[in-house]
Amino acid sequence: MTPIKPDLPPVGEPLLVVDGLAKRYGAKQAVADVSLSIPRGAIYGFLGPNGAGKTTTIRSLMDIILPDAGVMTFAGQPLTRRLRDRIGYLPEERGLYRKMTCQDQLAYLAQLKGVPRREAMARAEQWIVRMGLGDYLKKKVDNLSKGMQQKLQFAATFIFEPDLVILDEVFSGLDPLNIELLRDLILEQKQQGTTILFSTHMLAEAERLCDAVCLIEGGQKILDGPLDDIRRGFPFQMVRVAYKDGAEPPADLPGTIGRRLEEGTWRLEVEAGRDPGELLAPLAAAGPLSLFAANRPTLSEIFLAAVRRQRDGAATVERSVS
Amino acid sequence: MSKVLTVIRKEYLERVRSKAFLIGTLIGPALMGLLVLGPTLVARVAEDQDRTVGVVDATGEVGAALAAKLAELGDDHVTLRILDCGGGDACVDELKALVRSEAVDAGLVIPADFFEHPKPVFYNTSVGAEVLRGDALSPALNRVLREERFKREGVAADRQTYLLASADWSSLTLTEGAEEQSNADVGIIGGIVMVMMIYFMVLVYGQQNLTVVIEEKSSRMVEVLLASLKPEELMFGKVMGIGLATLTQVAVWTLAGVALSAQGIAVGGANINLTLFGPWFWINFLLFYFLGYFLYASLFAGIGAMCNSIQDAQQFSGPLTMGLVLPIMLMMLVIKAPDQTVATVLSLVPFFSPILMFMRISVSSPPVWQVVLSWLLLGLTIWWSVKASGKLFRAGILLYGASPTWKSLAQALRS
Repeated sequence: MTPIKPDLPPVGEPLLVVDGLAKRYGAKQAVADVSLSIPRGAIYGFLGPNGAGKTTTIRSLMDIILPDAGVMTFAGQPLTRRLRDRIGYLPEERGLYRKMTCQDQLAYLAQLKGVPRREAMARAEQWIVRMGLGDYLKKKVDNLSKGMQQKLQFAATFIFEPDLVILDEVFSGLDPLNIELLRDLILEQKQQGTTILFSTHMLAEAERLCDAVCLIEGGQKILDGPLDDIRRGFPFQMVRVAYKDGAEPPADLPGTIGRRLEEGTWRLEVEAGRDPGELLAPLAAAGPLSLFAANRPTLSEIFLAAVRRQRDGAATVERSVS
Repeated sequence: MSKVLTVIRKEYLERVRSKAFLIGTLIGPALMGLLVLGPTLVARVAEDQDRTVGVVDATGEVGAALAAKLAELGDDHVTLRILDCGGGDACVDELKALVRSEAVDAGLVIPADFFEHPKPVFYNTSVGAEVLRGDALSPALNRVLREERFKREGVAADRQTYLLASADWSSLTLTEGAEEQSNADVGIIGGIVMVMMIYFMVLVYGQQNLTVVIEEKSSRMVEVLLASLKPEELMFGKVMGIGLATLTQVAVWTLAGVALSAQGIAVGGANINLTLFGPWFWINFLLFYFLGYFLYASLFAGIGAMCNSIQDAQQFSGPLTMGLVLPIMLMMLVIKAPDQTVATVLSLVPFFSPILMFMRISVSSPPVWQVVLSWLLLGLTIWWSVKASGKLFRAGILLYGASPTWKSLAQALRS
């Protein structure tokens, strides 16, 4: 069986499209109605808190679980097992065969994606050398440190030159050095034209890497699109403020629509179109300031605003029905 | 399919290349050889040793006649040392002293009235010398006694051979079409040995699948693999890879067993010669071993997929193991009446047939249609068990934490 080579759409056009995906476990609706459109060549962030339904969606994509509903297409064709051989998957729960040599391990996983044996062995060697693990080529995985194992698992995901790679919570449980290492590897693969679906609950991490994102919560999509478009949709500003004596900002600040205390710093949400600088005078009048800063909102702040906006929207619908 | 082959290849090579496999494969025949050939070799070595037997001969003629008869029968490694001291008690004491000091290997006292009351006495220092008495001295002395008695009764020398004749048995087992010469003991003992081999290997290697799947779950490899192939394919590849590795081992053991048994070994008085079994027997041996293995292994693998520890798995694997133990308990029933209705029906039950149908084939000749029917029933059951285990695999392989119950098992099977 020769590996399949689908005709890929141009860069920026949808490569993987998911429409109306739903999955229920007993009484729990894990995924209610998730639709995604992942453009070719992008790093696409699939975001949401733990338990939002990210892993269920990904497992449905990889045919590890059977969804109750939903249509999935890849390069315009219905997503079959053979097309899935073009998709790499690095799950959050990932291991390696401890008693296998590094080369055999990589070659085995490559073969399972349709790479012929000889070719798989050669590519495994190239990847291991490239990852700086040349000394461990014929050594058992047991001899590798955790960081080295990360590299090997990463190599296994990319060794068969996939068109799309799904990374599920790849940074969880890693130290900063290893996170840095993986981030560089991901960006390098993007440079080479691989499309990446990057699933995480760490929104700050996603903000650094992704071109476009989809945010889900409780099995439902909250918002999606290119990061810049999303920012345009949430044009509010954030003011971070703190007092030396730990005082609270005055309650009647003009133009603020929300406030939150986070690690000793107040975060004030400022209406779109207003100048955050206008707040400095009333804030300073309330007491001795230790911090005043105006920024654009982080992705997690946008996420919170979006969740709030959706709830308000749902409430409006409910009200209009009654 | 090429992916399944990749899994089979990996699982097969991983096992065949392991030290444990090499040692197991070599130790099997070595143990067989030791158990089976050992006693024969020891006996043979003992036989070939030159032995000296001190003889006190009160008749003055039997000693010489015995020496001549031993030479005539070819037992030239036994030397008689006839004591020249008459035949009184003192002479016997002298003989005993010689035996005790191991100047001779054994002692023989022939009483003066030997031809009327043949009651010779044998002295030894170890029970091992009994072989010398039983295999060499006794047949020769019996001949001396009988020839002398025939002579006294006036029987002509040429009539003696006729009168001393023993019955020369032929034991024939009738199979369909051909008449086959065999020894009934060969079938039963050889059959039991091969049936026990099937039982033992299916139990040990079938259960190995349970451990392997649980290990694979705990190594967190499963999800990576399932992104590349279906759970059914993964399970089939594993079971098949391990199965072919064990088949390699069984083949080596069997060839070794056949080669060893061709040397003509005796166990517990029965002669086992596996070379007497025809191709039909061996085809069935390999087929029933492999099909039996596959049935139990796939179910064990399915149970393993639902569980997170061996302890979890025990409540399910126990009843499955009974499927193998039960026919072993019923085996005597089949040996005693291999072609009666009870045995026929039991030997067609798929979970029992690897043991019971094969037992019938060893001790009797069940109709070919019954054998083929049992293959088919077994094959159908395997088709079902692979499907069922595939479902268990799909449902259970990503379940971590919760211990499974019979209810969750049934739910997974219904899905």
